[in-house]
Amino acid sequence: MEEGYTSLPASHLLGSVPAVIAEDKTTSVASEAASTANLHLFPPSNGGYQAPGTPSGADEQTTSSWQGVFSISSYSSYFNVDTDVVVERIISSVYPMNDFYRKIDGNPDLYGPIWISATLMFMLAALGNFGTYLMKKRNDSSTTWTFDVTYVEWSACAIFGYMLAVPAAFYFLLQYFGFRTSLVRLWCMWGYSLFIFMPICLLLVVPVELFRWIIILLAGIASSWFIAVNLKAYTQSSDLMMLIVGAMVLQFALALFIKMFFFP
Amino acid sequence: MSHSDTIPLHPSSQSDIDEIENLINADVHSVTVLPARPPSPPRVSIPISHSPSPLPPYQKVPPSASPPPVVPAVPAAAAAPAGSSRIGISSDAFGSPPDTLTEPVWDTVKRDLARIVSNLKLVVFPNPYREDPGRALRDWDLWGPFFFIVFLGLTLSWSASAKKSEVFAVAFAILAAGAIILTLNVLLLGGHIIFFQSLSLLGYCLFPLAIGALICMLEGNVIIKIVVVSITLAWSCWAAYPFMSAAVNPRRKALALYPVFLMYISVAFFIIAID
Repeated sequence: MEEGYTSLPASHLLGSVPAVIAEDKTTSVASEAASTANLHLFPPSNGGYQAPGTPSGADEQTTSSWQGVFSISSYSSYFNVDTDVVVERIISSVYPMNDFYRKIDGNPDLYGPIWISATLMFMLAALGNFGTYLMKKRNDSSTTWTFDVTYVEWSACAIFGYMLAVPAAFYFLLQYFGFRTSLVRLWCMWGYSLFIFMPICLLLVVPVELFRWIIILLAGIASSWFIAVNLKAYTQSSDLMMLIVGAMVLQFALALFIKMFFFP
Repeated sequence: MSHSDTIPLHPSSQSDIDEIENLINADVHSVTVLPARPPSPPRVSIPISHSPSPLPPYQKVPPSASPPPVVPAVPAAAAAPAGSSRIGISSDAFGSPPDTLTEPVWDTVKRDLARIVSNLKLVVFPNPYREDPGRALRDWDLWGPFFFIVFLGLTLSWSASAKKSEVFAVAFAILAAGAIILTLNVLLLGGHIIFFQSLSLLGYCLFPLAIGALICMLEGNVIIKIVVVSITLAWSCWAAYPFMSAAVNPRRKALALYPVFLMYISVAFFIIAID
């Protein structure tokens, strides 16, 4: 079965890439059980190694060895998704329906947030420059257009900073109010909520000011609504309306920042 | 055994020299394991001269005492010819061979350049004798990627009309950090690659884009730039595709390939847009 790819021995093939051979592996079952454990703790705490004989009920293990933070294999449980799973999550993030959190509950992944943020960062830098180029051409000004490379730096700081800081802040706030949430799920949700800005970027290139404002307002509202619906599913009460409104405002502020900085 | 006239340079090397002599005398026909690295130049024993002035130990002695096999000029071709298997055992077993310290600099540079060229031929150029793409680049090195990344950064920086040093910094950071992050991505998705081999391969696949950047620097017309960069981008993606797709589970192939294409497309856009 294809689960065996996680346990192919390869270190004896010095200096070459082992071709993927479809052998059956008997340890695949144990590795599959081990990979679903510990998903609610973000820094992986058990050093990343689970002996093949340990039962899958070992997810409350308290052997918190700090070496888990530095080994790659302990993070691969957060990347345990296939292509079709990622595509399905992306599609369901565009419509602010209320079943996204159910999709990610069992298997939150960090692949989506990381690469959606990276793609958005490159698109903002590239299309922002393209937008200024079109504006200059339209106004037919005599000044030459140069590629402004600081857009790359600004978009990296803005997108990755937002993605790292805002879910972490909400995690701490929710813990303070007594709700037991998982940091990975918050990161996953916020990451997928950024997907809607990618096609919006393409539309924002059109150098008509009114069109740009309408597009970004619609995108901001849709994205904030997505965040609100999913956060409400985590808090499950109405006491924390302020928190949810705060999240919506932050997402809307990000949308406005994208418009005003990259497509002025 | 004619060891009476030699000084072994390391206490354990006497048995190793015995081993080499056995191999040379036994005329092995590719029985030994093909080296992961090209065989380094033959180990020279420094003879005790009976003349009153002994040679200083690290002066290079022309290796006429022991019959040295000629180091092949293209090390990657050592996979086929049996002539190079006379010193088939990799020199890693012998401690540090003194010849790579005492040989002329030009020999070292020539060897590294030959390795870069052979790796390029394996990875980037269409090669009907290409081995199984999952096993490409058995003899990886990092000089090639380093040259290509710096060259691409310099070319973009020369082409830019404003903020040249920032352009170089951004290009270098994206390419170097990008290669590392892409390799980590494959490892996290449960794929099986060797870290530095993957870095090396992603660096070599930048070669077409570096050529494209050079052409775009010399040529000003936007349409020609777009055409040239599209062709070289397709070439780079074609070169990187078999390696990356062989490294992961087929259901996650697109997840591993998409970031590679993202990095090359963003570099291509950078090349077109810099003017």
